This record gives sequence, C-alpha cells and structure tokens, in this order.
Amino acid sequence: MNRRALIAAAAAFGTLVAAPAALADEWRPTQPMTMVIGFAPGGSTDIQGRVLARTLEEYFGQPVNVVNQPGGGGAVALTRFLNAEPDGHTFMFGVMLGLTFSPIVSPVEYEIDDFRYAGTLVGGQFGVIAAGDAPYQSFEELIAYGKENPMTYAQQLPMDQAIMQRIAEQEGLDLAFVPTGGGGGVAPLLLGGEVDFAFSGGIHSQYVPTGDMNILAFFTRDRSPFYPDVPTLVELGYPYAMDDFRSFFLPGGTPDEIVQAFENAARFAVEHEPFVQVTVENTQHPIVFMDGAETEAAIREIRAANEALMAD
Amino acid sequence: MPRSDFWSGLVVAGFGLLALLWMIPNYAGSNPFAQMPPELVPNIAAWTMIVCGGIVALGGLVRMLRDGVSPVSAEVNWRAIGWALWPFVYVGVAIWVMTFVKLTWFGVFLIGGMLFLLGERRWYMILGCSVVPVVLLYVLSVYLMRVGVV
Amino acid sequence: MDLSAVGAAAAEALTLASFIGIGGGVLLGYVVGVIPGLSRSVAISIAIPMTFYMSPYIAISFLIGLSKGTAAGSAVSAILLNAPGEASSAATALDGYPMAKAGKPKTALQIGLIASVIGDILATIILIFVAIPFARVALMFGPYEMAAILAFALVFIAGLSGGNIFKGLAAGGLGIFLGTIGLDNQTGLPRLTFGYTELMDGMPLIAVAIGTLALSEMFVQSEKLRYDRANMSVQLKNDPNDHVTMPILRRIMPTILRGTGVGTFVGALPGLGPSVGSFMSYGMAQRAAKDPSTFGKGEPKGIAASESADNAVIPAALIPLFGLGIPGNVSAALLIGAFAIHGITVGPLLLRDNPELLYSIFAGMILASIIMLALGWFGLMVFAQITKVPPHVVIPIVIFFCLAGMMLQGYGTFGLVILIAFAVLGYLMKKYDYSFVTFLVAFIITPMLELNLRQSIILSRGNWEILLNRPIALFFIACTALALVMLILRTVRTGKPAANAPAD
Repeated sequence: MNRRALIAAAAAFGTLVAAPAALADEWRPTQPMTMVIGFAPGGSTDIQGRVLARTLEEYFGQPVNVVNQPGGGGAVALTRFLNAEPDGHTFMFGVMLGLTFSPIVSPVEYEIDDFRYAGTLVGGQFGVIAAGDAPYQSFEELIAYGKENPMTYAQQLPMDQAIMQRIAEQEGLDLAFVPTGGGGGVAPLLLGGEVDFAFSGGIHSQYVPTGDMNILAFFTRDRSPFYPDVPTLVELGYPYAMDDFRSFFLPGGTPDEIVQAFENAARFAVEHEPFVQVTVENTQHPIVFMDGAETEAAIREIRAANEALMAD
Repeated sequence: MPRSDFWSGLVVAGFGLLALLWMIPNYAGSNPFAQMPPELVPNIAAWTMIVCGGIVALGGLVRMLRDGVSPVSAEVNWRAIGWALWPFVYVGVAIWVMTFVKLTWFGVFLIGGMLFLLGERRWYMILGCSVVPVVLLYVLSVYLMRVGVV
Repeated sequence: MDLSAVGAAAAEALTLASFIGIGGGVLLGYVVGVIPGLSRSVAISIAIPMTFYMSPYIAISFLIGLSKGTAAGSAVSAILLNAPGEASSAATALDGYPMAKAGKPKTALQIGLIASVIGDILATIILIFVAIPFARVALMFGPYEMAAILAFALVFIAGLSGGNIFKGLAAGGLGIFLGTIGLDNQTGLPRLTFGYTELMDGMPLIAVAIGTLALSEMFVQSEKLRYDRANMSVQLKNDPNDHVTMPILRRIMPTILRGTGVGTFVGALPGLGPSVGSFMSYGMAQRAAKDPSTFGKGEPKGIAASESADNAVIPAALIPLFGLGIPGNVSAALLIGAFAIHGITVGPLLLRDNPELLYSIFAGMILASIIMLALGWFGLMVFAQITKVPPHVVIPIVIFFCLAGMMLQGYGTFGLVILIAFAVLGYLMKKYDYSFVTFLVAFIITPMLELNLRQSIILSRGNWEILLNRPIALFFIACTALALVMLILRTVRTGKPAANAPAD
C-alpha cells in the first residue's frame, strides 16, 4: 500500500467514525435490526433498501437485515408491521402507496395514525412508457395515434388505471386495460409489442438508455430531474397527479428519541455515497429528503388528493 | 377401500359446495372492468371438486352396496386414531407456545418430548438429538442470518 | 465474442479467491438445501451480507453457486427422507425415495447428482453461446403463448397422478381454488381473503410446499412407526452394487438431455419457475418410457428427469435476465439486488458496458458446477449416513426445522398456522390417495395461468382470429387438447373410476 492510499484510507476511516460520533448521545440500537420491505426482491425499492441497509449498518453500528414481505402494494407488510415492537429494532423502508392508496380501495386493518414517520429519502418516478420503436415519441403523438387506432395500456395499480381511464374518456380513445400483476410483468409485454403503452413504477431506468423504451410523460407533480424534457400529465393539461416517496416507517408508540435517531440516519444516508449512487445511477430515482413531520404531512396530503381522485 | 373413498369424496364435494354457495358469493369480490370476472376461476375449481368428489363418493357407494359393506365401520380403533392424531396436537400446541416463547428457548423440550413419546428412552440420545439442532438454529439465526433469536 | 476478454475472464475465474468464494457458496447452498424446512431464501439471506466483502464477480458467482447448491441439496432430503425441501424437488422424491428404500440409496443420490450437474453445465453452455443473442426469442412468448403453455402444463401434469384419475382432478380443483386467493391483479380488491390482510399476496408458497411435502410426511411416518417400526428406515447396507453403473448411465442419458432441454426452455420464459420444469420433465420421461408403470416405484429415469430439469432452470433463468433485464424467477430477481449493491445494473447494458464481468461470471458458473460435482460426490457419502439414524429420531428434528424455517423467513404465527393446516391436508391426501403433486402444481400454476388468460382476452378484444397469427400458441393449444383427450381416454379405459390399482 503506497502512501497516498494510506492517507485515503485514513480519511475514509475518519469520516466513518466521525459521522456517528457527532451524535453520540442519541439513541443507539443494541442488537441486529430488521428492515422490512413491502415488495419482492429485484424491484427498485428492494435494490435501494439493500444498499440502504448497509449504509445504516455503518451509521448505527449494528447489522441490518432485509426482510421482503410483498403483497398488496405494501399493505401486507404494513399489516404485519402493526405488531412490531416499538423499540427501534424493526423498521420499514416503505413506499407511501400502502397508506395513501390501498386503504381507499380495500379494507385494511391499519391507518395513517398507526405508525410513526421518521423521514423521507427517495422520490418516486411514476411514468408513462412506450416501446422505443413505437410510432409515437411523445404523449401528444400517442393521443393523436389513439384517436385513430384502438389501444392497449398495461396497468399496474388501480390508481394509474383510473387516471388513464379519465384521460381516455376526455380524449375519446378506445383504450383497453391489461393487468400485469406487478412491476416485472410490464417489460415483456412492452418489449414484445403486445401492448401500446404502459405504466412504469421505475423500470424505465433500465430500458430508456438502450433505446428499447421511451418515456412519454410523468404521473408525478414535478418533472423528473433525469428527464427534464419530459412533461408531467398536469403540464399536458390533465389535472391528475400521482406522487410517492420512500420513507422510514416506525411502529406506532415508538419513543421520540428513536424517531429522531432515524431522522438523523436518513440525513446521513442521503449524503452517503453508495446509497446515493445506487439510487440515482442504478435505479434513477431522485434523492428527496424530508424530515419526519414533513413526511407525515405529505402522506396525509397525497391521501386526500387520491381520495378526491377516486371518489368520482 | 370403498368406505374411505365414499367419505373422502363426500368431504371434497362438500367443500366444493361450500365454496360455490358461500365462499365465492360472499368473498370473491367483483370487477366491473374485467372480461374475466374474479369469480370465474374459483367457480371452475369448485365445480371440479363437486363433480370429481361426487364421482369418487359414488364409486365408493356403488362398491359398498355391491359388497354389502356398511358405510360406517362397526368397531372404531380409538387407539390407532389417537396414535395418528397426537403429533398434530403436539405440533399445534408447539405453535401456540411459539406465540409466547421463542422457538430457540423451548426447542430442546419440543424435540426431546417428541423423541420420548416416539419411544426413545436412552437419555444421551434424547439430550444429544435435542440440543444439537437447537444450537444449530441459534448459530444460524444469530450469527449467520443475523435476524436475532427466533 | 471478444477473445481477449474471454481469456481474461477465464484467468480471473481460476484464482484461489474465486475458488474459495464459489466453493463456499455451493457448500452453503448444499447444506441448507439438505435440511428440510430451510430453503433457498434462507441461504440467500445468509449470503447477501457476505457478498459485500467480495469483488462483484466473486459475489455473483457465489450467489449463483449457492442457488445451484440448494437445488442439488434439496434432492438429498427428497431421496433419503421423502421430505423435499422445495416444491421443485417433489418430483425427485417420487422415484428417489422408493429406490432408496429398495436398498439403493447411494445409487439414487448419485443419479440425482449426475443429472443435476449435467443439466446445470449444459444449460450454462446454452446460456453462454446461444441464448443471450437470442434472448429476444422469449419475447415471442406473449400472454397467448404463456396461457397456452400453462394450460398444457396443468393438464399434462394432472395426467401424471397415479391411481384414481378423479381423485387427482379433485385435488387439482382444490389447488386451483386455493391458488385464486389474494388480491385481484387488476382492481387490487381482495378475493377470498376472508378479511385477512395477510392473505392478500395469496397463501405463502413456502408454507404450502413445506407443509404438504415435508411436514405432512413426518406425520405419515410417525403414524407408521406404530405398525412398521422395523421396516421403516432406509437401510444403508454396504452393498457393493449400490452405486451408479455405466449401463444405468447409458439408460438415463437421453432422459437427462431431455430434462435439460425442458428445464432450459422453462427457465428462459420469465415466470414459469423450476417446479413446472421438473414436473414437466418427469411427465415427459414417463410418457416416453416403454413401461410407464415402473415410474413411482424407483425408476432411475424419474430421478434423472426431475433433477436435470430442476438444475437447468437456474442458469436458464439468467437468459432473460442478462439478455433483457427480466428475471426468470425469484432467485434471478435476487441477483438483480446483488448486482446493484456492487453498483452494476443488470440487463442488456451489462453486455455492452461490462463484457469482461459477464464472461467472468460465466466462467464462475462452470466452475461452480464442477465444484458441485466434487462436493456432492463427497457429500453424499456423508449424507448417506443420515440413513443410519432411525426414523423416530429424524421425525422430531425435521419437524423442528420446518417450524424454524418459517420463523427464520419472517412468516410469523400466521405462516405457522398455514404450515400446520397444509400439513394436515397433505397427510389426508397421502392417506386417502389424492395426488398432492397435482394439488401443488395446480396451486402454483393457477395465478400465472389466470393472469395470462385475462391478458389474452383483453388484448384480443374477444377476437379469436388473432390466434391464427400465433403459431406457437396454436401449437400448445393443440398439445393441451391432445393431453386432455389422452386424460379422458385413460379415464374411460380404466373403466369404473375406483376399480384400479392403488396409487403410487
């Protein structure tokens, strides 16, 4: 090992120790921790979560294990999470959909008030995608094409189907909705030319760079930082938005000091190189930090917006 | 075994009927969009169970009538039934206990108790065979998977 | 293919570190696979934290080696204890256990291992040289084709059930019914969940498989202890003839090759999974045999068919992953996460941006197969000693690990209740000759079949003529019809439904 490497190693070691040491008096875990992820392995939440687990190991000094509990867009994991001990050793890296959407359409046993929210790390990237060789390269062209031809749309959530149905009615499209049964099912349908366009919960990050897919519009309120030229549905004149963020959820009744510790951990993670790199470069999601109170407010706001959308 | 055919077929057909008349109408939900309603596949399954279970039961019945066998056995061997049943009760109780005590803490008694009931009397066998798997589980959960004691 | 990259890749594959890493993965997978109740997901959650400290190439090869190891290892418990750890090894037990009981446990284990390794290596070679450029072929299998294949698989495997055909169909009906539990995949509304949120994702497959296959078998055996204690255990007599011979190998080789083909095909189509592969292969071997009645009684071809397909699925599932970025099954999906931890996005970009890594991984996969052969050969000498342990000792320990496996995988009390419920069901099915194979396969296939059928109906907008442009779908529809006719013929031929020989 030459001298420069030694210095680099020492510097790295310094930052490693320094960051947690700065907050020495806050709550610390005393045993291995469990991170619950409400989605199956391989999806973007899972990928980010597994790297985040490693970042948190560095921060908390305890091993962090990832447990996948897929089902119902996070609803299964949230239901089991109701019984978790509020001692900070079990937490969830969750998407908000299970709270902002699932309770509207299906009877679930939990509510927003049953959990505590300790901070947001990642912003969602819901978009409308089409095959790269499709005869339309923008959302306007898609609509124009749809007015002439019957079309098929691969849905993933009842929510994006509801939005697309409204757009189809407004524009007079003959649109059929194809269920995919989850994120992984979209890619074969679109690449194989079975459907005309589809919902993407994040899989476009893999296929847009190769030209296999095109992203036409975003469901989110704001434009994606990765595709500044792609408009949102709101900008295109359709008053529908679908937002989601990935945050730390803790069991209800978790003491404030533990919530505070996770909020600090979230602050640490959004600056931590491996996590940021995987989130931004591999899965193409923006880093969005919100503290616990902002996170809870965002959940309530999105829930109200979704309820209004699904009501009529 | 016409008798067991008769009763098992009846149970299967009965479950199919229960599914068709009560479970599916009440719990299958509905989907106004779908060209294939959610109750379609469960209905097919229920009909399969009713028809096939019915045929099995009928076959059993016909052979019983032909051979002049009564559908209910005269002497019930309670000891045999008890012997078949106790492991289920044992594991059921173990699952109930697991809601209060972690498996690792009472695993030794779980294995040891069952070994004893299955006729093992050598104390060193009982001790060794019950301690080793529990230690293995402890190492696996705490050190290898690091999920803590389960 | 860039030759210098291949050379460099081979060089990296043969370092000591990679040897230890891959060997460790195979060994860990093998040991976990042997213990009934602990499955691949336990092995993988042990392994992922370890991969942080490895180079990307070793980490990925380690995980692939692990998958291969569990597939080969679960055959051991299937053969020696009749308690397969995973649904994909259930077909192995059908002939493996009778063969072991007939005094040839080592032969059965060796056949399983050889079939595993050959299936594995051949599928890996197909992956490397043929498949990635042709991964797009998988896209020709749209919803119509998948629905037709799944329907064929369902009918074909239902035809496997020995004994009373109506009992088999009734069991299949129950499997279909339980397979429909869960959220409706379009509206997200619960179906047959009876208000339990835990059932939204359906009955957990691991609990169903361990319950009906492993735990129920322990209950069957503990009941038998009362009547048949002396004859129960598999005896390991140091019989000099108890090893695989050249004539046996020659006899099973065509079966292995066919099994590899089936496994590769099934693995390359996203979603089907190893259980479908191994049962299809088993069924084809039975149909192709001159005397199908030997199957289920210790036929070496049965073991070879099931194991070769089960292992061929693992490398084949990487074809759509590397070629299209679509994981072929759950193990392949876990690899995406492992790649991401090392900052690599798996998919078509990998071949373009990072070909050396891909070639290294291929070399590592071949190495893993060879290590598996060596380890397995040595391991089966050790594991064959299990047969010396009397069954009344094995039973409580296996039950313990079944319960522990559910807890380790985080299913909680709910998973345990499902486990015991399915163990009761499996016990009753075995006792009253209802085919649990048909039940399990129907349970696994139903959700996929329903989704693809629904997609097809929506996409076609009710227009059947679309099928005329779909030759592959038509072919499989014809196969399904043929299988259905054969099923009916067999029913009619056996005459009165209950008048045939006892099953299995």
